[in-house]
Amino acid sequence: MTNDFSSMSPAFFHILLSLGAGERHGYAIKREVAARTEGKLKLGPGVLYGSINKMLELGLIEEAEDRPDPHLDDERRRYYRITSFGRKAAQAEAARMRELVQLAAATFGAPKHA
Amino acid sequence: MRDKSFSLKLYCWLLRLYPAGFRETYAGPLERAFRDELAESTGPWALASLWIRLLADLAISVPAQVSREVSQDVGHALRLWTCRPWHTGFAIAALAVGIGANTGVFSVVNALLLRSLPFHEPSRLAALSPQEFIPPHDSAKQFHDWHEQSTYLTDAALVEENDVNLGGVRDAVRAHVSLTSWNFFSMLGTQPVLGRMFMPEEDIAGRNEIAIIGYGLWQQLFAGDRQALGSTIRVDGKPLTIIGVAPPGFDYPSSTVLWKPAAFSPGNNGWATVARLKPGMEWPRARAAFDAEVERLSSKQGTTDYANPRPRMRSLQDALAGPVKNASLMLMGAVVLVLLIACTNVANLLMARTAERAAELSIRSALGASRARLVQQLITECLVLSFVGTLAGLLVGYWMTTIAARVSPPPLAAQSYSILDGPVLVFAVIVSILSGLLFGVLPSLYVGRIHAFGTRSSSRTGASRLIREALASTQVMLTILLLAASVSVGSAFVHLMGRDRGYDVKGVVTASVSLDGTRYQADERRLPYFQEVLARVRSLPGVRSASATEFLPLYATGFVGGPFGLDGLPAKRNSTMVPVLSEYFQTMGGRIRNGREFTNAEVRSGAKVAVVNERFAAGFGAPEEVVGRQLTIGSEPPWKIVGVVKGMEYETDPTLVNGNQIFIPSGAPGSFFSTFVARVDGPAEDHLAKIRDAIRSVDPQVPVFGVKTMEQRLAEVFARPRFYRTAIWMFAGFALLLAVIGIYGIVSYTVVQRTQEMGVRMALGTTPVHLRGMLLRQGLLMVGVGAIPGIAGAQLTGRLLESLMDGASSIGLATSAGLAVFLALVASTSIWAATRHIARLDIMAILRAE
Repeated sequence: MTNDFSSMSPAFFHILLSLGAGERHGYAIKREVAARTEGKLKLGPGVLYGSINKMLELGLIEEAEDRPDPHLDDERRRYYRITSFGRKAAQAEAARMRELVQLAAATFGAPKHA
Repeated sequence: MRDKSFSLKLYCWLLRLYPAGFRETYAGPLERAFRDELAESTGPWALASLWIRLLADLAISVPAQVSREVSQDVGHALRLWTCRPWHTGFAIAALAVGIGANTGVFSVVNALLLRSLPFHEPSRLAALSPQEFIPPHDSAKQFHDWHEQSTYLTDAALVEENDVNLGGVRDAVRAHVSLTSWNFFSMLGTQPVLGRMFMPEEDIAGRNEIAIIGYGLWQQLFAGDRQALGSTIRVDGKPLTIIGVAPPGFDYPSSTVLWKPAAFSPGNNGWATVARLKPGMEWPRARAAFDAEVERLSSKQGTTDYANPRPRMRSLQDALAGPVKNASLMLMGAVVLVLLIACTNVANLLMARTAERAAELSIRSALGASRARLVQQLITECLVLSFVGTLAGLLVGYWMTTIAARVSPPPLAAQSYSILDGPVLVFAVIVSILSGLLFGVLPSLYVGRIHAFGTRSSSRTGASRLIREALASTQVMLTILLLAASVSVGSAFVHLMGRDRGYDVKGVVTASVSLDGTRYQADERRLPYFQEVLARVRSLPGVRSASATEFLPLYATGFVGGPFGLDGLPAKRNSTMVPVLSEYFQTMGGRIRNGREFTNAEVRSGAKVAVVNERFAAGFGAPEEVVGRQLTIGSEPPWKIVGVVKGMEYETDPTLVNGNQIFIPSGAPGSFFSTFVARVDGPAEDHLAKIRDAIRSVDPQVPVFGVKTMEQRLAEVFARPRFYRTAIWMFAGFALLLAVIGIYGIVSYTVVQRTQEMGVRMALGTTPVHLRGMLLRQGLLMVGVGAIPGIAGAQLTGRLLESLMDGASSIGLATSAGLAVFLALVASTSIWAATRHIARLDIMAILRAE
C-alpha cells in the first residue's frame, strides 16, 4: 500500500481523511466527504460500506463501540476509527501525491492561479 | 409519507441482492443510511434523484461484493479440496460421468428428434415406408395423378436407393444413388446450388438420362468447376448428363451422392414415399385419411399383403430417427438414473465431510457466521464442483458422441451429433446446475441444523447418519433399476445373436461384385463369369465349398418376390425370391429338410427347379408332400420343387416375421447385391485376401467390395444393439461401483465414529467378529430398505423397456430379487472390508483416551 506508485482509491483516502479527525459513523463520513469535495464525491451507501468492509479487512480502520450520535437521533450507530497502520498508509499516500505534484510542477510549471 | 415508507421497503428488499456475509454486517447501517438520506430528501424530485443515485450505487457495489464473497468461497472450497484430493477426485469423476453421459445422449436426441430437418417446412413432411405402403406407380402419370388427387397431401415423391458403379469402367467406385420421381427436390423445397431441378415428365424412360450430383461429389470429381453442368457421368456404365448440383450437406436419403429421375414400371417394390401434407392439415386428420386410403387400395389391389406390419404414416423426422429414437430415449432414462446415483453419492460424500467439519462449522457459527453465510459457502462449493464436473463431463460427452456417430451414424449429414450445439450446451448447463443444487441441498439443510443447535450433539449426528443411510438406500434402489435394465437389454441381445438364423455364420467368407457397366453386363455373359470365379475359388486350398447368391441373409433391402403358389393354388402371403447358385445351402450351412439343392448342371442349363422354405411348404402340407410338385406364379412356366429347406433369416429386425422364401437357380447374377460365399477351414479372416484375389484374377476391372466374413457382417448389422447393450452395462456397472463406494464410505465412517463404543464393548468381552457382524447387519438393512422399492421399480422398468426396445422382455420377480441378493453380496464384501480395522483395535489405548 505504501511507497509504490499504485494509488489508494479516492474513496479510501477520503474515508481515512475523515477518520483522521476522530471517530465517525458511516453516515457522518459520507456527509463529511461530500462537504469536503463540495458534493463532487458522493459515496453511495453500498460503495461506502463496501469500502469500509474492505478497509476493515486490510486493517486500515477498526470498529469502535456502538453509540448514539448526539446530533442526529438517539439510535445507536457503529463508529469507526483509523488504526496506526491506516495513519501510515494515509501519510504514504499523501507523500506519493506530493511527489507527483512536484514532478508535475517541475515538468509543466506551477498553475497560474496558484 | 406513504412514498417514503414504500421506498424504504423497496430498498430493504433490494438489499437482498448483496451476498450473505456483507448483508449480515451492513444491512443495518445501509438501511439507516437510507433513512437518513430519505429524511433529507423532500419533494418528488429529491426522492427521484435519491433513487437514481442509490440504484447506481447498487449497480456498482452489488457485483463487487458478490464477486468478493464468491472468490472467497471458491478459495475456501479449493483449500478444502486439496486437503481431500481422493474425495474430491471421486466426486468430480462421478459427476463427469453422470453429466457427460447425459450430455452425450442428449446430443443424439437433439440431433435426431429436436433439431428440425434441413428442408422447407419440415414439420409437414411425411414418410410412408416401402415395406408398409406404396402408392400406385405403374407409370409416372398414375403416380402423379394419385398425389394430385389426394385429399390430404399437397405433393408426394417416390425414391429408391441403390448402390452402383460410378464413373468409367476402369476406375469404377461404388456409390449410393437415389432414383426419384421428378418432383423430389421441389417437394422437399431444396434448390440446387448450381443448375436446375428435375422438370415435369423427366421421370419417363428415355427422358431420364440426367442427374443431379451431391456437393461433395461435385468437389471431388470437378473440383467445384461450373463446367460440371452438361458433363457426362457414368452410372453402371450408362452415361447421364449432369444438370444440377445439390446444396452442401444435402445427402437425403442415406448419404446419397447422386440423384437420377426414375423410370416407373409395374411391380417395382423398392419405392419409399415422401410426402408433404396440405397446408392447415393436422396430423391426426391426415393419418385418418391415409388409413382410409390404405383400406381402399389394399382391397382393390388384392395381391398386397398389408396385414403385418400395418402401414403407417409418420413424420419424416420420426421415420428417419426410426429405431434410434426409442433406444436413445431408453439410454436417456439410463443416464438420468446414473446422474441421480452420482448426485446421491456426491451428496453423501459432502454430508460425511460436513459432519466431519461439524466442529469447525459450529465454531464459525459461534463466531457469528450466519446460517445463510455457511449455506452460501456450501452452495458455492457445490456449484464449483458441478462446474468442474461439467467441464470434465463435456469431454466425456464428446467422446460419447464420436462413438455414437460410429455406431449409428445420423441419417442425414445435417443431423451430425455435436455437443457444441446451443440446445446441448444449455442442457449441459441446466443439468449441471440442477445436480449441483441436488447434491448441495442436503448438506445445506444439515448446516442449518448445526446452526440451530450450535453445538455438536448426539441427536444431530444420529440424524446425519439417518440421512446418509437413506441416501445409500436410494442408491441401492436406483442401482437395482439399472441392473435390471441391463439384464433385460443384455438378454434381449443374447437372444438376438443366438437366434437360429437357418445358416451357420462361422467359417464363411463373403465378397460382393457388380457386373453392371462391365464387359460382363450382357445377360448371357454373367453366369459364365460367376462359374469361372467359383471354379477358381473352389480350387483354393482350405476352401470346402463355394457358391453365390443375389441376396445375402441379413440384407433384406431390394427384395423381389410375388404371390407364388403351389400347383396354381396361391399361398396365403407373398414370397420373396432368392436366386442362388449350386452348393449354396452346403456353403451357408443351411438345413435341407427334404429333397436336395440345385446341381451345377441345373444352374448351368437354367433348369426350372426351385427350393422352398419350410414356411412356404407348411401352407400346403408336410415337407415331403411338397417336393416334386409345381411352384407357380401367374401364367409363368412353373418350377419343379426339388427341396425344402429350413429357410434363412434375411431380415435383421426380429419383429418382422420370417416369411415365405423361394430359392431358384440364378440365371443372370451380378446385379444388386450379388455376393460370393465360401465355406473355409479354420478362421475365416485368414482366407479373405486369398479369395478376393482369386475373384480379381478373373477380371481386375470388376469391382469387388464388401470382402468380409459372415461373422463380421453379423457384427456390423448388430453393432447398434451391441452398443446399446454395452452402454447400459457400463452404466449399470458404474452405478454398482458408486453404490458400493457409498456403502463403504458410510460403514467406515461409522466405524471411526463409534471406535470408543467398540473399544468398550470389546473390553466387555464382545469379539471383533461379533462387532463386524453387527455392522454388517446394519449395513445390509440399508441395502434391504433400498432393495424393496428397487425390485418393484425393476418390474415397471421392464415394462417400459418392452415398449421401447424390440426383443427386450421384462425381467421376472426372481431375477430382480437375485439382483438384490447379488448387490447385497457385493455390499457385504465392501462392509467387511470397511470394518477390517476393528480386529486391530487397541482396546487399552481406546480406554485410556476415554
